[in-house]
Amino acid sequence: MALLDVENLEISIRFGHELLPVVRGVSFSVDENETLGIVGESGCGKSLTALAIMGLLEGSGVRVTGGRMRFGGRDLLAMSADERRHIMGNDMAMIFQEPMTSLNPVYRVGDQIIEALQQHRNLSRRAARRRAIELLDLVRIPEPDSRVDSFPHQLSGGQRQRVMIAMALSCDPKLLIADEPTTALDVTVQKEVLDLMLDLQKRTGTAIILISHDLGVIAETCNSVAVMYWGRLVETAPTDALFETLAHPYTRGLLHSIPAIDRDVDWLDAIPGRVPTIGEQIAGCPFHPRCPRAESRCRHEVPQPREIAPGHLVECHFPYGGDR
Amino acid sequence: MMAVASIRSVFAGRTFAQIGLVWLAFVALAAIFSPLIAPFDPYEIDPIARLTEPGWPHLFGTDHFGRDSFSRALYGARMTVLIGLGAVIVALLTGGLVGMLSAYFTRLGHVLMRGVDVLMAFPALLMALVLMTLLERSVMNTIIVIGVVYATTTARILFGMTLKLKGEVFVDAAVCSGAGHASILFRHILPNLVSPLLVQASFIFAFAQLQAAALDFLGLGLPPEVPSWGNMLSEERIYVTRAPWLLIFPGALIILSVFSMNLVGDAMRDSIDPRFKDDIAGV
Repeated sequence: MALLDVENLEISIRFGHELLPVVRGVSFSVDENETLGIVGESGCGKSLTALAIMGLLEGSGVRVTGGRMRFGGRDLLAMSADERRHIMGNDMAMIFQEPMTSLNPVYRVGDQIIEALQQHRNLSRRAARRRAIELLDLVRIPEPDSRVDSFPHQLSGGQRQRVMIAMALSCDPKLLIADEPTTALDVTVQKEVLDLMLDLQKRTGTAIILISHDLGVIAETCNSVAVMYWGRLVETAPTDALFETLAHPYTRGLLHSIPAIDRDVDWLDAIPGRVPTIGEQIAGCPFHPRCPRAESRCRHEVPQPREIAPGHLVECHFPYGGDR
Repeated sequence: MMAVASIRSVFAGRTFAQIGLVWLAFVALAAIFSPLIAPFDPYEIDPIARLTEPGWPHLFGTDHFGRDSFSRALYGARMTVLIGLGAVIVALLTGGLVGMLSAYFTRLGHVLMRGVDVLMAFPALLMALVLMTLLERSVMNTIIVIGVVYATTTARILFGMTLKLKGEVFVDAAVCSGAGHASILFRHILPNLVSPLLVQASFIFAFAQLQAAALDFLGLGLPPEVPSWGNMLSEERIYVTRAPWLLIFPGALIILSVFSMNLVGDAMRDSIDPRFKDDIAGV
């Protein structure tokens, strides 16, 4: 049994009296030492999936309306708020997209790490402080003994993101969810932060879910990839297999819309059409209006996930590299 | 050191606010040391020396009971500070709590904030009058009534600010690290509200003085024998033609103090403008 098992997850948003599903039938699992990448464009539901796992949807008008999530064999959805709180920060931690705002501006960064530590570990303040300095050193913040007393605004974006990582790692979580951890950072800092995460994974065996819209980042760091489109997982595969076959037309479209550095083009390739809005009714495959391979079957029949190679699931009637 | 530096940065280049601050310091000193400074007992009646003009030894003259106006004004500063601080504490505690809880627990907020809306529909003075008629005249009751009146605006302001802070990523991050509701509200959100609370406090302090003076003047505030600026106005208003100084001095004191408090409040409000946020965080 995997560390985290998500099965048929459905998340809906309340819109007046209606509940509109925004994430449907999402299933995946992550195990220790594994890194799963979730890719997709803005609004495809990748962040919502992460928030649902962390239990952060409560009170936002968005909620989990179906499916199961099991963490270490325990059903996350059946847990009481207290049990959940015990797991959060302790066994599961999250790194957010905005390093600029994810630290409380009125506290010294050390105090924020110390608080996270004291929440779950029975440590004296002095011991917690020592551990906080160790953690800052671990995430390669220079002069950790003095930086521990800095306020967030005295640190750069990359340093703040490292502090966030230090906080997330403070209690040696089994699962780390990183929601676009590098989007707000420079490319060089991006690489450092990613290397740091992978390095720490080697040491502690933490499972990582990396959410990104950057296929390059995903290809570099993940063991397996899940591609999301309009709230559905359209393709799940080991990273190599995914980038080799690019079975789903959407995955292919995503990759082709990245401009290549060695090709001079006037016009960037883009996937034609637009992402359907929430609650829009689309018969058949949700991607067919934009799909270059769409045929009449796609307009009528919703594709079911099928395995085109071991561990390679595609929700498409006519995947590339498959038998037509 | 840090406090001195930040006070200096708040008032730098604001001559009027500096004068206001100095005046308030005078009022505070008068309030603290009134028993030492006051040349006469503010309660002592001297029927022979009724309505004497300002001069020596009665700097502000005497009232119609022959009590020394200057001494009463000094003790009045005491009441001003006491009622101002008391009203600020009551307003920030009740209003702040209502506002924060309402924003944090949305359902509770629907109920509580509608109640606040209803209270805000009444003009401040009218509401204070209604509440005071229901209660006995005393220093404590005056403080509570004025505090409650201004709790409504405090609740509104903190409601909005808490709502905004609740959506900040660092709150999500705190939830993620397993923090409970109380910890999020009071350890993560509240410290971010300190600057607006301070500004709000300065304005409540100013308005509380006006409100208290108005209540005293209408005979519904402090008990009449208590020396306060409002009571001095109220008691001596019929002598306005014979002894105008009995009204001019306390009136001027009220005006100066409220005006000073507003200037100081303005300076504080301007300094928490987001452009100067880094200066406020205390560094």
